[in-house]
This record gives sequence, C-alpha cells and structure tokens, in this order.
Amino acid sequence: MLPEVTPTSLLNPAQPRPAFRHILNPRTLYASTKMSLSEKSDEEIAQLLAQYDIKHGPIVDSTRKLYEKKLEKAMKEAPAKPSSDKTYYREEEEVITYMTYHNPVRHEGYADMLKRRGNAEPDEDEESDQDTEPSIQSSSTTVNHSTARPREPIRKSGGCVRKMIRLMLLLAVLAAVFYYTYFHVMNSEENILGLRDR
Amino acid sequence: MSTTSQKHRDFVGEPMGDKSVTALSGIGEILGKKLEQQGFDKAFVVLGQFLLLRKDSDMFIEWLKDASGANSRQAGSCAQCLKEWCDAFL
Repeated sequence: MLPEVTPTSLLNPAQPRPAFRHILNPRTLYASTKMSLSEKSDEEIAQLLAQYDIKHGPIVDSTRKLYEKKLEKAMKEAPAKPSSDKTYYREEEEVITYMTYHNPVRHEGYADMLKRRGNAEPDEDEESDQDTEPSIQSSSTTVNHSTARPREPIRKSGGCVRKMIRLMLLLAVLAAVFYYTYFHVMNSEENILGLRDR
Repeated sequence: MSTTSQKHRDFVGEPMGDKSVTALSGIGEILGKKLEQQGFDKAFVVLGQFLLLRKDSDMFIEWLKDASGANSRQAGSCAQCLKEWCDAFL
C-alpha cells in the first residue's frame, strides 16, 4: 500500500548528496571551512594533523603557524583523502537514515490518525493494523541495518542521537499499534467479557 | 656533510648552559639578531623549539627558515648541531 522508497539509487556514492545534509552535518561543516585554519582551535589542528597522518608536537604559539602550513600543503595534495572515506560512510549512514525516516513518518501519520479516531471507530483498525504491521517489520529491519553500520564511521555522538530518535519513533509506533489492537479486541469481544464476568 | 665546523664541535662537545643563540652552528650575527627579536635570545630557547617539534629536523629547518630567514645550509647546520647535542646530553 505504501509506496516504498527505493534506496538503491541512493546507494551510488557518485550521486550528489542532498545539500542540506551536508550543511547540517558538523563534520562536513568543519571540512568545508578548512581554509580558515587559523580560526580553528589547537585541538582541531591536532585532529586534522592526525587525520593526515602528520606526526606533530604540541600546538603552541611558536609551532602553530608551522602546522597550519603543513595542513594546507597536505590538503592541497590530497584533499579527498580523509574526507572521501568519511563521505562514503556518511553516505551509507545517510542512505539508511533516509530509508528509516521515510517509513516511520508514514507510520506515525497513520498512527496519529488512528489515535484521534481510535475509540469511536474501531472498524478501521483492522485495515490499518494490517497495513502498519508489515510496514513496521520493514522499518525494524532497516533500523537493524542502520544500527550495524554506524559502528564503522566516526565515533561522534550525533550518530547515537539519531539511533535514539529512531528507536523512540519505533517504540511510539509500536505502542500505538498495541493500543489499537487492545481496543479493537476490547470492543469486538464485549460479549465474551460479559460472559466471563470477572 | 660529515665535515663539521669548529663551531659545531664546540657546541656539541659540552652542555650549552647559558650560551647565546649565536653559539649555534649556522647562526651568525644577523640571524642571531633576528632570533633574539622574536625572543629566542639563548641557545636553550632554540633548543626548546627544537624539542617542541619533537626533534624533527625537517620541521625545525622549516621553522628556522621562517623565523630567521636562514637559508637551507644554515638551517640544516643548526638542526644537525642541536640533534647531536640532544643525542649526547638529552
């Protein structure tokens, strides 16, 4: 019923990534401002030096300019070297998040609609349950994929936050579904409950 | 490059103590003045810079050329001098 987002086209790393993702991602933000090396903190310079495998001593006043020059040279010679790997991983991450964000949004939309009507109209629950259940399964599989991948890319907290958000969305959807099945059962088996007579 | 100057041998042969920056091999009056202007008035301060750069001769040479306007020969000589001093006393 729900038109699937075909991510296969997005898996091609040669394709241009959506621009907004680049801007929002702090890693690309720093990479894009690489020419303003003098504005970076000492720690950032040290990190960049490590990225380019440049052995260095402490970054202090007298050594800083030297390392900035080295970084500029290294960036000119191999501008794609560290960032290309990152973009590849980032693309993987992005691709997977793209998939998961598409599905749960639709689920949530259905779930919200159902919640509002919920108690009054149990008739629609049957269809929606059947629709949501298989789609939830698909979303959960994508979540599994995504949780497996982010281990590889850079160990930043942003990835963990996204994982958390995805998990929470999934839990919300599952909770909504359970509520509906529960109410549906309640309403449809009124007579049976009356017979049981607790 | 195995032939070392007297200046080099003098410097490397003993602890530098409080020697002026012009005692370093390759550093003469003019270069010495330039370094002093930047606060490197004693040999041990230049040694400090050498150590900060993790005793990397290439980096030190680059820095020295930048800081004092030394040419490759002079900077190389100074780096070699400091390296041998470190090997002996550090």
